[in-house]
Amino acid sequence: MAETNEEVAVLVQRVVKDITNAFRRNPHMKELILSGTLNPIKDLHLGKLALTKFPKSPETWIHRRWVLQQLIQETSLPSFVTKGNLGTIPAERTQRLIQEEMEVCGEAAGRYPSNYNAWSHRIWVLQHLAKLDVKILLDELSSTKHWASMHVSDHSGFHYRQFLLKSLISQTVIDSSVMEQNCLRSEPALVLPKDEEAAASTEEPRINLPHLLEEEVEFSTDLIDSYPGHETLWCHRRHIFYLQHHLNGSQLSQAMEVDGLNDSSKQGYSQETKRLKRTPAPDSLGLEMEHRFIDQVLSTCRNVEQARFANAYRKWLVTLSQ
Amino acid sequence: MKLYSLSVLYKGDAKVVLLKAAHDVSSFSFFQRSSVQEFMTFTSQLIVERSSKGTRASVKEQDYLCHVYVRNDSLAGVVIADNEYPSRVAFTLLEKVLDEFSKQVDRIDWPVGSPATINYTALEGHLSRYQNPREADPMTKVQAELDETKIILHNTMESLLERGEKLDDLVSKSEVLGTQSKAFYKTVSTQHLPPRCSLQRTVAACCFWHSLL
Repeated sequence: MAETNEEVAVLVQRVVKDITNAFRRNPHMKELILSGTLNPIKDLHLGKLALTKFPKSPETWIHRRWVLQQLIQETSLPSFVTKGNLGTIPAERTQRLIQEEMEVCGEAAGRYPSNYNAWSHRIWVLQHLAKLDVKILLDELSSTKHWASMHVSDHSGFHYRQFLLKSLISQTVIDSSVMEQNCLRSEPALVLPKDEEAAASTEEPRINLPHLLEEEVEFSTDLIDSYPGHETLWCHRRHIFYLQHHLNGSQLSQAMEVDGLNDSSKQGYSQETKRLKRTPAPDSLGLEMEHRFIDQVLSTCRNVEQARFANAYRKWLVTLSQ
Repeated sequence: MKLYSLSVLYKGDAKVVLLKAAHDVSSFSFFQRSSVQEFMTFTSQLIVERSSKGTRASVKEQDYLCHVYVRNDSLAGVVIADNEYPSRVAFTLLEKVLDEFSKQVDRIDWPVGSPATINYTALEGHLSRYQNPREADPMTKVQAELDETKIILHNTMESLLERGEKLDDLVSKSEVLGTQSKAFYKTVSTQHLPPRCSLQRTVAACCFWHSLL
């Protein structure tokens, strides 16, 4: 990066001395970016370095979002490219920005446990830069799986997976009107139809939502068995169960409360539990399987906490059918 | 989930001897790494000192868990992990390492050994492989072997100390900690704590790693 020595010195000094104010309350900095004097990409790079030392710094993340906004708006090239009737995909430049942000968030998440600021930034990027593009959502779901399995008490990491699944559900509903019809008929298998539109676009991923959710349940089972006594894993299971039963129920559109989705970045647990309690009556087969799972855990576990969480999960399931 | 150190020690009648150790301090900031390593050695030795032969224990301190296994023949192992790492796997690792060590290193070398003289090179590899517990050991095997009820749980390092004993004194007397580490410990324990009862201060002073992060 070819900054002048002075530029570098000033920037570094600002950051290291006072991370709180380095990126905050800096109208001068914003003027520099807006006038084109200071390169926003360099600013992002500086922020990335700062985050290696201060992975939570709210001011740094807030400023980062402001810079990204400028980048989206400033370019004369479209940030999205249309592909047929099925919407748009991010242009290459935006893709690169998105990838970079995913990496920065991933690193920051590894540097501080349950780094809410990093994960909510990641969600913001998917919402505002990636516009909840399905392919990107699917990529994120698979690429964060290993990380989640190695951070089993990272509530924010699992909340991110819940967000991805919820978004995939909502995006599938929005994309296809046929989906809606299937739902009204209480069609159990909600798969994107192989209609002409889908066939025309080779890039459109076929999402099998029930399958994705099943996989997540299996993932949850695997983790709960391997790592006893982590409440995060049990909370995650509740969310997946809830999503599965909204998918099966006829209240699919109600489940897709748009404000609920936008609020997913607010980690209001009480808000979530209220929603969780308003689910429609879950199907009996699903419930039965969950009860069997709980039985299996209780009969083999030797961890006090694990038993406690299993029993609490059982109680929660019971309240659902009331 | 993370493993930070893996050590093999000998619980002699007079003192505890470090035979071999492997560390992963990559998650700590660069300038703190050697101090962290020294503190981990210090802690490992202290834990073995305060554990009886033929026992297994887990000592919790903030987000860290120190798992120790002292065999009846005085050979001991300590693994320092975070609170996500499954303790069953940690104990499997200790069992395996001590078993292997005892086969490769003559018993006669244990009481007088040191990392420089002991010829056992597998520790680094074990530490690295076990960073991912599921790759390192199939879960089914682990479940069958260990009786978890026999593992002693300590909620703080402090519960290992004698009545009236202070961690500060142990730190300053320690041969394992360098001057810089001791100075750092002193800064940490005087600056970050409310000047209230010494018991609280002793307990809180155990958070030296946490503050180093």
